[in-house]
Amino acid sequence: MSDFHDNYPHYEVMSNHGEEEGKKSRRTLWNVFWIMLAITIFELVIGFMAPSHGWSGTLWLKTLFISLTVVKAAAIVMWFMHLKHEVSFFKYAILAPYIIFMLYTIFIILTEGTYAGSSGHLTRVDKIFIEQQAQLKQGHHASTDAHHEGHDSNTRH
Amino acid sequence: MAHSIEIDPKEAWSGGQSPFRLSYGKMFMWFFLVSDALTFGGLLVSYGFIRHKYAEVWPKAEHVFTHFPFVEQHLPLAYVGLMTFILIMSSVTMVLAVEAGHRMNKKGVVLWMFWTIVGGLAFVGSQAWEWYHFIIGTADGAWRNVWDPATQTYVKQVFHGANMITNEYGVPQFANYFFFITGFHGTHVFSGVVINFIIFLNVLKGTYERRGHYEMVEKVGLYWHFVDLVWVFVFTFFYLL
Repeated sequence: MSDFHDNYPHYEVMSNHGEEEGKKSRRTLWNVFWIMLAITIFELVIGFMAPSHGWSGTLWLKTLFISLTVVKAAAIVMWFMHLKHEVSFFKYAILAPYIIFMLYTIFIILTEGTYAGSSGHLTRVDKIFIEQQAQLKQGHHASTDAHHEGHDSNTRH
Repeated sequence: MAHSIEIDPKEAWSGGQSPFRLSYGKMFMWFFLVSDALTFGGLLVSYGFIRHKYAEVWPKAEHVFTHFPFVEQHLPLAYVGLMTFILIMSSVTMVLAVEAGHRMNKKGVVLWMFWTIVGGLAFVGSQAWEWYHFIIGTADGAWRNVWDPATQTYVKQVFHGANMITNEYGVPQFANYFFFITGFHGTHVFSGVVINFIIFLNVLKGTYERRGHYEMVEKVGLYWHFVDLVWVFVFTFFYLL
């Protein structure tokens, strides 16, 4: 089975299972799928209704979408990728570094990144950008459609 | 389930066995996926940063991605909803192939892997269609300063669609991040389809039947689920929020 003639256990073969267990795990997997599908449809319905109800960009909507996304991600990692059934030490060896590092990245972008929007720290490009926005607001639109408002930052003089 | 073997914590690290109860191949597939996930995490965080910076002028996805094949109406979210469904569906067929492999059921693996590959190709095709409409743009277009190579100046004109430096939808960063992140994800999907296809051929040839286990299917399955995992986040941050 292995090309190496050592006494290392064959974990590949040990993860095989019988018909009974297969049936059980298939049922679990389909249940996970239906839950994920329901969440996705729910997200789409809310996303579809959001503009006409004035929900777009509200804090609760963002929180809802992000938490549902995390739920779906957890379902994929835990059941589809089987991490739930690995040895718990391995589970945390995979999850802990990633979660800690990503939380740190989000934290640092939220704290150290705040200067980007403040008027005291405008770059050369930002100034051109604001100037052009002001010009465009005075009316140089190709279309009357509200959502095609022109915002232009391509002039580099 | 499969890995229900209990380990003695005192014995686990004394050598001669894997304390993780995993083969090297699967363990390193996980480590690779963590590094790849960090890349995508970094991209999405930087996307969030730029989007927050240009929050006032950032285009709304429901105004940009409104097309649906064979339908004239504006249908925001419908197409990307379909793409999400295709990818989740192919993720399920993949995990069923892995499960069939655990029972050494070659027919089952062949059947479910085939549908996984079909789903993957459908997703890549859908993404190509979406890119096409994004690049071509709307009939109305918008006024933009477009670089004219002949005169070496920027000329104000009506611009349709999007490229890396100009787009009709709003700030150029929107198109840049859209192209880069969905493109990077699409590359992963495409390579996933190729890898799945190679493993599919091996399954047909009976390589894993002879080997006594279908762990290769499980390893490419991990990669395939990872692609689905990334899409869940791309879907939220690009289309829903």
